[in-house]
Amino acid sequence: MIKEVKKRVKELLDSGKITGFLGLRDMNGHVGPHLFCDGGDLEALVLGDRERPGDSRYPLNKQLIHLARSYPEDTFGVLVRGCDERGLKTLSTWNQLHPDKVVPVGIACPQELAEACECLRPYPDEFVCGEKVEGCPYDSVAQLDGIDLAARFDHWMREFEKCIKCYGCRDICPMCFCKECSLESNELIRTGDIPPEMPLFHLTRAVHMAGRCIDCGLCNEACPADIPLRTLYKKVADIIDEEFHYRPGYVADQKSPLNILSQPGVE
Amino acid sequence: MDYRTALTTCTYCGCGCNLYLEVLDGQIIDTIPCKTSPVNEGKLCIKGWNVHEFVQSPNRLTRPLLRKEGTFEEVSWDEALEFTASKLRDIKEGYGGDSIGFLTSAKATNEENYLLQKFARAALGTNNVDHCARL
Amino acid sequence: MTNSVAELENSDCIFVIGSNTTSSHPLVATRIFRAKQKGARLIVADPRKIHLALMADTYVRQNLGTDVALINGIIHVILERGWQDQGFVEERTEGIEELKKTIQSYTPEKVSEITGVSAEDIVKIAEDFGTADAASIVYCMGITQHVTGVDNVKSLANLAMLTGNVGKESTGVNPLRGQNNVQGACDMGGLPNVYPGYQAVTMPDNQKKFESRWSASLSDQVGRTVSDMLSGLSDGSLKALYVMGENPMLSDPDTAHVEEALKAAELLVVQDIFFTPTAELAHVVLPGSSFAEKDGTFTNTERRVMRVRKAIEPVGDSRPDWQIIQEISNRLGYAMAYDSPEAIMNEIAEVTPSYGGITYDRLEGSGLQWPCPDRDHPGTKFLHKDAFARGKGMFHAIEFMPPAETVDPEFPFWLTTGRIHVHYHTGTMTRNSPTLNAEVSEGFLEINPGDASQLGIREGDEVKVISRRGQIRVKTVFTDRVERGLVFMPFHFVESNANALTNPALDPIAKIPELKVCAVRVEKAA
Ligand code: SF4
Ligand code: SF4
Ligand code: SF4
Repeated sequence: MIKEVKKRVKELLDSGKITGFLGLRDMNGHVGPHLFCDGGDLEALVLGDRERPGDSRYPLNKQLIHLARSYPEDTFGVLVRGCDERGLKTLSTWNQLHPDKVVPVGIACPQELAEACECLRPYPDEFVCGEKVEGCPYDSVAQLDGIDLAARFDHWMREFEKCIKCYGCRDICPMCFCKECSLESNELIRTGDIPPEMPLFHLTRAVHMAGRCIDCGLCNEACPADIPLRTLYKKVADIIDEEFHYRPGYVADQKSPLNILSQPGVE
Repeated sequence: MDYRTALTTCTYCGCGCNLYLEVLDGQIIDTIPCKTSPVNEGKLCIKGWNVHEFVQSPNRLTRPLLRKEGTFEEVSWDEALEFTASKLRDIKEGYGGDSIGFLTSAKATNEENYLLQKFARAALGTNNVDHCARL
Repeated sequence: MTNSVAELENSDCIFVIGSNTTSSHPLVATRIFRAKQKGARLIVADPRKIHLALMADTYVRQNLGTDVALINGIIHVILERGWQDQGFVEERTEGIEELKKTIQSYTPEKVSEITGVSAEDIVKIAEDFGTADAASIVYCMGITQHVTGVDNVKSLANLAMLTGNVGKESTGVNPLRGQNNVQGACDMGGLPNVYPGYQAVTMPDNQKKFESRWSASLSDQVGRTVSDMLSGLSDGSLKALYVMGENPMLSDPDTAHVEEALKAAELLVVQDIFFTPTAELAHVVLPGSSFAEKDGTFTNTERRVMRVRKAIEPVGDSRPDWQIIQEISNRLGYAMAYDSPEAIMNEIAEVTPSYGGITYDRLEGSGLQWPCPDRDHPGTKFLHKDAFARGKGMFHAIEFMPPAETVDPEFPFWLTTGRIHVHYHTGTMTRNSPTLNAEVSEGFLEINPGDASQLGIREGDEVKVISRRGQIRVKTVFTDRVERGLVFMPFHFVESNANALTNPALDPIAKIPELKVCAVRVEKAA
């Protein structure tokens, strides 16, 4: 698997098509994000499957935005799975990234990861390695939908109660790019308290991510309180899909119906 | 363009979370939790997520300061170090090493703590070494 | 910690006492949440209704400074009901008879009177803890910052030993270290009585070993503690103080006294990354580099030694602290010639048995938990597996003693201090972090709404808080996190410095001041 990826990245770097490739590196005994700039130096490149498939995924698109903001003329390659590609597409409709300045190098996720993620499309449009597997339904949502409303509310309140207000769900999110974050507004949610006001804090974020969340699950993995945030956002995504027939990132160039009017882009 | 990520350990609490500092052209621009860390498994608290912010704060001390006639003046390293060494020498000679105390730091590295207590014990001959960690 | 953080996840019962874990050690709280998810019983004892109390199976608010009584009460019930681990007690411990005698009188009823915790809750805690397969104790400064700090810790050790919760996975007595490298500072001999690795300075063998390794003649006298240094400065027996990266002006009790002491110094050297209130009093201020600008290691609360790696060049003209010390030492005529922190670590490993197997190469990946005596040793996940360091575990029969200062008509409120989740210690770093400072930018006094209305103050009003040692002004927050008669303040804020009020009375053995209890008066600010 990794061979095909390295080959592709080497071609891109050697041909001068990209300035650098944002991928993952095994270094210091850990896997972390890294910008590869030399086609001859791809030894440590890895895909983020250390003990289990996808156990060391990072918000590479977020780091890509950092680079693109400082170096708007350069083109970068980036490692993408299905969710990351949904992210790229959506970020471009929000004018956060220019599609012609990004060269995705895709990998398809194995069954195990697709199931763990309950991912509707666990592969990008094009991929250099991996096998295409079927998407998996949102079982966690269905399961909660199956219990009565009061119990469901209880469940979420018990989960939210653990929140230590680290803002990690926002900070890790490749789709959070607003300059001012309503979660930090003292008028909306009193600052300084933990847990933050319930369920206001979490619902504010859920609503904000509607039409933007590409279901990568990184927030869930970053939550020190193990709150099943991904399930919450999946539920919101289902509602948006029912109402507006829109799921971010599944169709290129399709803009979110919720924010057609206000584009906070960088252009 | 110089973009790099450096794997390190959070400097705030005793959990010791592992994180990457994201550096672009000499500026630390972000913090990313280390997914494979046995301690924090890709999570951080609010302090950890923002640990890069204080590092390049405009309030950082950047030059040695020496009190001259009551007010601080910026001086060269040479002057500050010479002042410190000669004063320590004078006090040691005048009153003995035990008239000097050292506070090591729960924020400094092991290597630095080791060095300061070694300096106190070996160079000044005193065991007056402690830190504020009881607090 | 005797055990590792991750092990908490598999405890059957976790007893958290004197630790506001979600604020001060959030990533330890993660493991407590997980244990709870897996069905563990969670017991929280804290005078303040902290975040973790919300999800506890049993939460009790003991009166300030009554921990020994509470723990004795729990032990009393365990012994009475036969929930102790008799096999462990017989094989691995001694002194149980003494303990039994002492705790005889600590009936739930009597303990309830002292602590304010109901007798039923005491029994419930005893049952949950006493009957669990693997039970862990987690504590922090709420236990140690008392004149009875050592008694408190010994009492917790009694409880753990009595129930056989020592020396096996997911058990233990687990102090959470407050600052990131307190563990390391202690391990490295940042203490007046020991060389690195807790080797006593009074043992001739140790002295000889270090004299030959360091080519110097060393003192065999135990040195001064922080508080002895401060009083020495005041009375003139100490002339100089060299402070690396600490801020006693904010962190130590009774600020007025600290200031007087520091001002009396003939030489005050402060090495720091910010211009702290302590630096303001210095004769010379040496700008050190932050953790992001240098290589090195930190040792976390579970004894795990981990790498710190340089991300950027030193800011401005600042220099890594090890280089500053080395420079001064060389100028003083004691030669040091390390070319890197790694070279220092190699020397540490050579002279410190518990760090003997530690090299930078081996720290790649997960780091190593000491004791790690040699290059082939994998490190140690939990301590006291087959035996205690001294052979048999010793029970300590301990009587309850009230705090050094108690409330009276003139100072009718109990004040306790602590941390909040966004700030760290004296705020030097966190308050220079825009995001953190935006979340909470000023100090506050938590007061029960009932008390507040009696005093005729409105929420957000500024009040005067006065103790026997000083007074400050601070705005109020109304909350039932504190009961009537108790007020709380975080100690991160120089503008409303809680330690202007706190009591410097010390634990006689550990010399820890009683920062968690003092008596104050609250007045409407004019
Ligand atoms: S799953 Fe979470 S991290 Fe990923 S896009 Fe949605 S909200 Fe952001
Ligand atoms: S990551 Fe989890 S704990 Fe942190 S703010 Fe989000 S929900 Fe709360
Ligand atoms: S990120 Fe938070 S929990 Fe982790 S070491 Fe830093 S301060 Fe402690």
